[in-house]
Amino acid sequence: MNKKYMALGLSAALTTSLLAACASTEETTTTGDNETAEESKVVNVYSSRHYDVDKELYKQFEEETGVKVNVVEGKGEELLERLNTEGANTEADLFITADAGNLHQAKENGHLQAVDSDVLESNIPEKYRDTDNEWFGLTKRARVIVYAKDRVNPEDLSTYEALTEEQWNGKVLVRPSENMYNISLLASFIEVNGVDKAKEWAEGMVNNFARDPQGNDRDQAKAVVAGEGDVAIMNTYYMGLMLNSEDAEEKKVAEELGVFFPNQDTTGTHVNVSGIAMTKASKNSENAKKLMEFMSDPSAQEQFASANFEYPVNESVEPNELLKSWGEFKEQDINLSVLGENQQEAIRIFNEAGWK
Amino acid sequence: MNWYAMKRQLNGWAILSFIALLFIVLPGVVVLVELFAPVNDNWQHIREYLLPRYVRNTLFIMLATGVLTTIIGTSLAWFVTVYDFPFRRFFKWALILPLAIPPYIGAYTYHGILNYTGVIQTTLRNDFGITVNQSYFNIMTIQGTIFIFTLFLYPYIYTITRAFLHNQSSSMIENARILGRGSWDIFFTVVIPISRVAIIGGVSLVLMEVLNDYGVVKYFGIQTFSTAIFSTWFGMKDTSSALKLAGTLMILVIAILTMERLVRGRKQFSYATTKVKPLKPRPLNGWHRYAVLGYVATVFGIAFLIPFVQLIAWTVLTFEQVFTAAFFRLVWNTVSVAFIATVIILVFALIIANYTRLFPSNMTRVISKVTTLGYSIPGAAIAIAVITLFLLLDEWVLKAALALDLGQTFVFRTTLIMLIFAYVIRFLAIGYNSIESGFEKVGKSFTEASRMLGWGTVQTFFRVDIPMIKGAIMSAFILVFIDIMKELPLTLFLQPFNFSTLATQAFKYVSDEKIHEAALASIVIVLMSGLLIFVFHKVLDKEAD
Amino acid sequence: MFVQINDLHFSYKGAHAETIKGFSLSITKGEIVSLLGDSGSGKSTILRLIAGLEMPNQGVVVVNDCVCCDDCQFMPPEQRGVGMVFQDYALFPHMTVEKNIRFGLHKLSRKERNERVEEMLALVNLSEFRHRYPYELSGGQQQRGALARALAPRPSLLILDEPFSNLDTSLQHRIRDDLRRLLKQTGTTTIFVTHDEEDAEALADRIVYLGEGKIKKQIMTENNKTFNPQIPCFV
Repeated sequence: MNKKYMALGLSAALTTSLLAACASTEETTTTGDNETAEESKVVNVYSSRHYDVDKELYKQFEEETGVKVNVVEGKGEELLERLNTEGANTEADLFITADAGNLHQAKENGHLQAVDSDVLESNIPEKYRDTDNEWFGLTKRARVIVYAKDRVNPEDLSTYEALTEEQWNGKVLVRPSENMYNISLLASFIEVNGVDKAKEWAEGMVNNFARDPQGNDRDQAKAVVAGEGDVAIMNTYYMGLMLNSEDAEEKKVAEELGVFFPNQDTTGTHVNVSGIAMTKASKNSENAKKLMEFMSDPSAQEQFASANFEYPVNESVEPNELLKSWGEFKEQDINLSVLGENQQEAIRIFNEAGWK
Repeated sequence: MNWYAMKRQLNGWAILSFIALLFIVLPGVVVLVELFAPVNDNWQHIREYLLPRYVRNTLFIMLATGVLTTIIGTSLAWFVTVYDFPFRRFFKWALILPLAIPPYIGAYTYHGILNYTGVIQTTLRNDFGITVNQSYFNIMTIQGTIFIFTLFLYPYIYTITRAFLHNQSSSMIENARILGRGSWDIFFTVVIPISRVAIIGGVSLVLMEVLNDYGVVKYFGIQTFSTAIFSTWFGMKDTSSALKLAGTLMILVIAILTMERLVRGRKQFSYATTKVKPLKPRPLNGWHRYAVLGYVATVFGIAFLIPFVQLIAWTVLTFEQVFTAAFFRLVWNTVSVAFIATVIILVFALIIANYTRLFPSNMTRVISKVTTLGYSIPGAAIAIAVITLFLLLDEWVLKAALALDLGQTFVFRTTLIMLIFAYVIRFLAIGYNSIESGFEKVGKSFTEASRMLGWGTVQTFFRVDIPMIKGAIMSAFILVFIDIMKELPLTLFLQPFNFSTLATQAFKYVSDEKIHEAALASIVIVLMSGLLIFVFHKVLDKEAD
Repeated sequence: MFVQINDLHFSYKGAHAETIKGFSLSITKGEIVSLLGDSGSGKSTILRLIAGLEMPNQGVVVVNDCVCCDDCQFMPPEQRGVGMVFQDYALFPHMTVEKNIRFGLHKLSRKERNERVEEMLALVNLSEFRHRYPYELSGGQQQRGALARALAPRPSLLILDEPFSNLDTSLQHRIRDDLRRLLKQTGTTTIFVTHDEEDAEALADRIVYLGEGKIKKQIMTENNKTFNPQIPCFV
């Protein structure tokens, strides 16, 4: 009888070993507890950017330095929550996310460490860095107003706030409030206009919605062209991507839209960054620092800018032609950390205003 | 009960079952503990502004989806079983195929078809100069959500009801025919009442899928319980309130399952003792024939063919860009992880099912119940529990390594083991249900015969029990494998380094607003699931004969 | 006594009343005993208790000097050396007749095993059907297959649960004569359950009438006079 139990156990063992074998092919890092031991040639990244250009850059970095880049991809909020759960035990060395709010939250929760690097400091202007150098912006994107060229005179557009006026009743399109870009947008308004004004704005927007918020940024653009509304709030790079889409119809949609940078005479257009930060628990901090510097380097910045239509943070790099054609614009003059500080407040205001 | 009776209960089967059970209970405990923890400010906020809407939306979607899937699922099962019409044999299994399309893939495909730049509106606009009212084509609404769920989930009811009608009802239906009842009459007065149990079994599966869905509602921006859990967790960074929501959801699911069990009562789906006599389909005449064919073909077209063709079109559009060496890696990841997890689940399910069957007692009844309830634990709770558990595990391993002076240690978190562990918790119930019903069908006498011939429980298990329920094991394998292949939230949250599956890759593309690029990964999921469903159908057919 | 059952008590889980209330019975070697009773009289339960498929609340079962169960031990069915033919035969559907018969012979050497299978196939007249699967056999053939399978390991006691319930009447008459001859030919001690008095009289040496979990009366059948075992009539 016992023999057969063994058979049973054996089959269990077999699957487990199969499992382990599979896990090890994933090149998970095994780390020693000895700090003085030589760093392994890896760097582990939690990234909410899953663009092909990022993968291309990791590959170049691997070729240049021989350091293997391991990546977990996910949504920024999810990865942040994962950092929260794992705390000091995280395997991640770097956290890359497309929102300064999340970077700031990570800092607040004590997951990050300051990085002292002349390269980073010279490549990245101060306003796109954390005050304590715990995170660094890599690319920036503006959240702008797009309008139907055939129906809207851009001269009627002025500010985000003006979208709540009677003139735009039933004509404004924007995606749901759970989206991080919207949360950060409102968080910036809390900073520049105060809580009450921000709340007023959210309520005014809800009042002027052309339809219940739904879909993503591209869907807002399509809805404008389809005539569901006249104006929409969306990120700049989606315009770039749509104009260069392999789908002719999407291209047509984008061509019928105009880009307007709001609040030029007042507080400036809302800008957010995608950025990079080193975890406090990083076990490969030298490699991590190298990768950070690599990403801020003009050549990498160039690739970011051209492939994904984002504005490079490195001022020595020119933005993409398309972006340049939209012209220079005035940005919100805030430290991006406030996007994180006001995040929870913003979520509550959205809920209270009934912004779906 | 005397002492040797106790001893008889505590054997290898029991110990292995308990270990498996522990896995399932742990996340449940995490949720329950949090459910009774004191509330915080966020909770008040959630209750005031969000909960009413979440509950309203969720209940409405569940109710409507339940009713619609029942109507479609049972009517299809009825037509395919009792009538003969052109292509009946094809539709018999083809109607299961929509199950191969995960609802979130169906959702983005339909959005892609229907939106302003989709094929329908584009054609109307460019070729006919018609610009339509957008609200007629807007699928990102509650109604659209119900539409999607209905299309891609009705096969649960269709399969179960069809199998039931096929096997159980022939004498009753034939009697009713002899008594001169018309078809509609028979359908409502005989078929619906007698297949009530099967239908409810199917509906409860559908509702569970709806409750646990993350992809569709997230993509459509519909606020339901499951998006609420994740947005509370990730948006408000409030794990405690998220777990409270998860707990509420869990209670809801347990209520559904209990209701199902109550209705089912002692009537199991087994037909072990009676000789099954399949119903002979009756040929239809004249326009009836084409009406039925039209209905069946329409459902198939909308629920499978249209999205399938659209996905292929998009795949062609983006093929060169997406089909790279990395894509093979993706397929390999998906298949290998699903395979390993499925095998582990089946091993556990077989052990537990055999234990509860061989040694029936109050304790094994509880074990059986708990195993089935594993399905009710929301994905978010499983994720939190699994991470917490693996952090502890790694700490112990590190301590042990230090004590033994091993220097290097293996880190379990952020590995495939963690993800597979989560899959096992999530899907054990599905495997268990299939295998349990397989055992129910064959009964105990073969096992007893084997033991009378001098073989112990373990030898009997390998030589008699497993070969006897081969069909059930295969069905369980297919069901679990497909489910894991489609799984989204756990895979997204627990994925190891450099690891993506077809499902997560498709979802990432979609969240990056690259719908066309998501098509290749999606179509591979659909094709693999479709193939497995075909095999599943063949297995079921063979079983029925 | 070859089989000795003393003061057996048993109740099903969740049931208040005992199904078996102090059942005792002795059987001599080679005897065929029939348990006769209405449905619900507990006759099948007694068979399952002797086989070891159920565990008694108390009581002793001894078969061929081997204590199968008493107050401090319980021998699992596979170790009791008892053969059983189930009411529905329970022939393994995934095995041919031959494989079914071979199934219980794992303690023999390969050569002995082959010989025994041949012997059993010949005994029950199924040699030419050996490669058939159970569903390819008639009801009577299935029953003979099940019998051969149960007898193959030479059990010290053979248990038959309603051996004729699945057969039509004409077959039933022929088979029970065949069966008796076969059991006597192999000298198998047998206990079987039926609700049909005629079956019992035709097959058994002794009939034990059962009611409410206890023995009501016992009689020797006509068969017994030709067999004539040395047993006391009442225990």
